Amino acid sequence: MSRPIVRRRVTSGLLYVGMAATTVFFLFPLLWVLSMSLKSPAELFQSPPALLPQAWAWDNYTTVLQQSPIIRNTLNSLVITAGTMVLSVALATVSAYVVSRMDFKGSKVYERAILACQMISPVILVVALYPVLVKLSLLNSYASLILVYVAVTVPFLIWFMRGFMETIPRELDEAAMLDGCSRFGLFVRIIVPAARSAIVSAAVLTAVMSWSQFVIPFIMLDNSDLFPISLGVLNLQSTGGATTLQYVAAGSVISIVPVVVIFIVFQRWILGALTDGAVKG
Amino acid sequence: MTLTAKTVPRTRAARANARRPRPRRDHPYLWLAPSIVLLVAVFAYPIVEIVRLSFTGANLVGANGDYTLHSWQALGAQGLGSILGITVFFVGLSIVFQMLLGFFIALMLVEAEKRRLVGSVVTRTAVMTAWAIPGVIIGIIWRLLYQESDSGILNYLSSLVGGSSNIPFLSDPHVALVSVTIANIWRGTALTMILCYAGLKTVPNDIVEAAHMDGAAPFSVLRNIILPTVRPVLVVNLIIVTVETLNTFDMIEALTAGGPGTSTQVLALSVYNLVFGQQRLGVGAAFGVVLMLVNVVVVVAYLVIINRGERTRA
Repeated sequence: MSRPIVRRRVTSGLLYVGMAATTVFFLFPLLWVLSMSLKSPAELFQSPPALLPQAWAWDNYTTVLQQSPIIRNTLNSLVITAGTMVLSVALATVSAYVVSRMDFKGSKVYERAILACQMISPVILVVALYPVLVKLSLLNSYASLILVYVAVTVPFLIWFMRGFMETIPRELDEAAMLDGCSRFGLFVRIIVPAARSAIVSAAVLTAVMSWSQFVIPFIMLDNSDLFPISLGVLNLQSTGGATTLQYVAAGSVISIVPVVVIFIVFQRWILGALTDGAVKG
Repeated sequence: MTLTAKTVPRTRAARANARRPRPRRDHPYLWLAPSIVLLVAVFAYPIVEIVRLSFTGANLVGANGDYTLHSWQALGAQGLGSILGITVFFVGLSIVFQMLLGFFIALMLVEAEKRRLVGSVVTRTAVMTAWAIPGVIIGIIWRLLYQESDSGILNYLSSLVGGSSNIPFLSDPHVALVSVTIANIWRGTALTMILCYAGLKTVPNDIVEAAHMDGAAPFSVLRNIILPTVRPVLVVNLIIVTVETLNTFDMIEALTAGGPGTSTQVLALSVYNLVFGQQRLGVGAAFGVVLMLVNVVVVVAYLVIINRGERTRA
């Protein structure tokens, strides 16, 4: 065998080793939690720990589903996520279109403000809003919660959608205008269909961001009936004693499944969204 | 300038011109009104309000409080120094390791794809999954991994390689800060990986091949061809990672809630703890202003350094 071929094989071998190590590093914590969620309390404290449960205790899941409000939390998260997704994507599409196609004095200021918004921690926003929300009795309200979710997701989406709008040829706009199309007609009939792949990406990203959101509901909700999944699982951890670790693990798995499924199904769009944005900067 | 107008024959051009609507009056602010109203209410107002509150003695129970410099004078006594130290450690190590790991994983994946090795999609998905999981759940998962007895998995793995089987991952103040940072690196590496992966795909393959043909060493290819191409992506990435890490709250709240004591209390957590733990809105607001300033200063510093670098290179 010639030397280049040997070197090629050695490099491929090293790449396989590297990929295997990376996969284990990132998947092992998740698999371990999955394993813990199927163990009996005795097994959780057995030393040394066994990789797999002896008898798979699926009833840990039944217990969590029946005795904790996790189903309710999941439904709550779905409602909040869906509301945020619709409003945020609609708002971002319109705003990105305006910024990319209309010439107006304030457009630079608007764009800079959008970038600056992304540097502000949600903790600061909700801390400052809290006294006002108390005064207006807007705590424990999905309407105000969703509006805050929309506000914190929309700057990134506008930035991302704007990048995509630039790739839609302006000739399309001009042809439509020549045909006497109004701005609104142009937006609905030309821009939205042309941007549909970006809209899907934006929707998936918003869903992932809203599902993960924690500090906003943590401060804006104190009625536990309204808690989304992130607060629900945290409650499971803080209310249970040491003997309920298997339930905490099961709750974590339940909360991860939807987002991981969405993520794997839509991976192409997410990767596309983030990569387009990054390369264009 | 329209392409259509140029290519349309004269006679029809005249007709098209007649039909062309008068230069239309756009109303950008009408279109932007909803987003502007929302961003003023949820960003502009809180930013002004947090600065104002920081100059008051406000607390959560009694409303306003009088204007005073007390909150700012109390920063030191409230442990600003140690909080900044903890934040710098957490953010600094997170950035360095996330960027290094993320870059090399991306490099590995792109190289593996070029060679059509099986399994690169699995690896990519595994890394990206870590990023999709809610931060709170990541904190909870790592709490389970860091279980402090010999039945804890990381303690067990440590004993397998000859280490202690009783590492106080979360109960020793110094170890806890390292534990929190490692969990954060696990969480954040994916973002760098995704961005670098995109950047690396734009590196022109023929140039790399040609360099290899000419016998260039892999390291020199990396330094002279790959890094300059992905530089803009690395810059965007550095800014995003820094801001995200500075503002991390969810993962730490679930993993240690800032403890033991205040050993893992980064800036974002201190704002929350002062306001909702101690009801001291004024002091919490002052810490919030510090957090905003740190974000701004770091990002501006990056931009200045980068611009200067660009000028000397040009």
